Amino acid sequence: MNFLYFDPGLGAMIVQAIVAVAAGVILFSKNVMYKIKAFFGLLKEDEDTYDSIDIDEQDTDTHDKQ
Amino acid sequence: MTNSNSNVHQASFRDPSGYMFHDGGTLRRVINPIYFPQYKKLTDSGFYEALIKNELLIPHTETSVSEDTIIITPEKIPFITNPYEWSFNQFKHAALHTLKIQKYALSKGFILKDASAYNVTFYKGKPIFIDTLSFDFYEEDTPWRAYKQFITHFFGPLVLAKYHGTEVFKMLQTHIDGIPVKLIASMLPGKSKLSSTLYTNIHLLAKMESKHSEDYKAETKVAKLSKKAQSNILESLFDYIKKLDVKEATEWGDYYAKTNYETAAFEAKKELIKSWVNPLRPQTLIDVGGNDGTFARTVLDTVPHVIVTDIDSNAVDHNYKQIQQNNEVNMLPFVCDVLQPAPGIGFNNTERNSLIERLRDYAPDVTMALALIHHITLSGNVPFEKSAEFFAKFSKNLIIEFPTREDSWVQSLLVRKREFINHFDFYNENEFEDGYKKYFQLEKKETVAGTKRILYLFKSK
Repeated sequence: MNFLYFDPGLGAMIVQAIVAVAAGVILFSKNVMYKIKAFFGLLKEDEDTYDSIDIDEQDTDTHDKQ
Repeated sequence: MTNSNSNVHQASFRDPSGYMFHDGGTLRRVINPIYFPQYKKLTDSGFYEALIKNELLIPHTETSVSEDTIIITPEKIPFITNPYEWSFNQFKHAALHTLKIQKYALSKGFILKDASAYNVTFYKGKPIFIDTLSFDFYEEDTPWRAYKQFITHFFGPLVLAKYHGTEVFKMLQTHIDGIPVKLIASMLPGKSKLSSTLYTNIHLLAKMESKHSEDYKAETKVAKLSKKAQSNILESLFDYIKKLDVKEATEWGDYYAKTNYETAAFEAKKELIKSWVNPLRPQTLIDVGGNDGTFARTVLDTVPHVIVTDIDSNAVDHNYKQIQQNNEVNMLPFVCDVLQPAPGIGFNNTERNSLIERLRDYAPDVTMALALIHHITLSGNVPFEKSAEFFAKFSKNLIIEFPTREDSWVQSLLVRKREFINHFDFYNENEFEDGYKKYFQLEKKETVAGTKRILYLFKSK
């Protein structure tokens, strides 16, 4: 059961379908660009100190299996 | 265990899942039966543990379990900073942190049911998610309910900061539930519509929101979104935010490159501070106007918790970057204008405490105010007695530096007063001491070698 204590905004719920399409295109072209840059050795190091969006599943999985 | 209404945390009333309360000096969280299924699943599946292990969520212990309440006790965070007190990279990392948690939650069949910036604060040098009850079950093919909140609390302010500087973060003081999408859209330059990320996430969102704002009967059309599509939104926002940068040069950013004293004097000041702080054996210390933490760092290895504030967001950001690079866990930087400290905001003015209230609770063993008093007094026109009253509200031991009238910076501030220069004749050693002695007891006084500045140690009366 979901209970909602604030209005998520109907427009915001609907717009996500369009946002997702744009996001999909951007991510796809990013991957293509990444491959091209990697091929020519043009990859730059990330300056930001925050790591990636993905959690290091290794330490979490070892727990799950135990 | 008492949890009468008066002890309930003032910001804890919106979410019916539970609430926080003060049990003596400890902050605990009550979970209501309505949230039991979620809480049990989040615990049993190892979800909480995975987040805690990865330092994403504040650790908690189960204190008591009964049929109608579960009480958990989260690890204590020494000092809570609010979004309008963060530097650019702090704000940015808090946003990335929220997206990271939502993406992981989604992969495990949960969602973040809200994306409030107040659910994140800084602890041990890093952002940490503090609302343990913010998770709910994911329902197949539903869009992210907290999406708009993420835009108004995080994405919008960050994008605005890119164009207008970090001053825009202060808008969150007057907009506790984030900057309205329409306002964000109106403040962005026209060219931002050419970016597909900005166009869809802000301009189009603003349009859709006003189009559907008159849906009084809540005739919700079922909006569907696949898990993969939602994940794409999260990832593309993450990528965009990660690359965001702010271009602003301020007066203070490279302060130490243009100090008015020699390297030797600089080192002498460091040594003097160390020799005064260490015998006090402080557990907590705050450096008000501490720039990028240069002087606070001289005692960082001996003080368990150190706070450094500065008016300049760039200096705070520089400090935050150093913390990340050196993996410092006991330093907390945030932005603060002493002449206008953050007020209490939200419902009843108590949802988010004022800076002074938070400092009073924190009760630092040592307060440092170096190269600050001439700005408060001469730029801010604050009499000595008034600034003493401010420090006395939360300080036990006050180490304060007084640049005399002969100091070149003081002279430049005085010259700017032009024909009113005579109104500032009171700016001298004696008047300073008289003002501060109304609230403090003078313990030590010493001129910093090679400078026209005097260091004082005051004890509160």
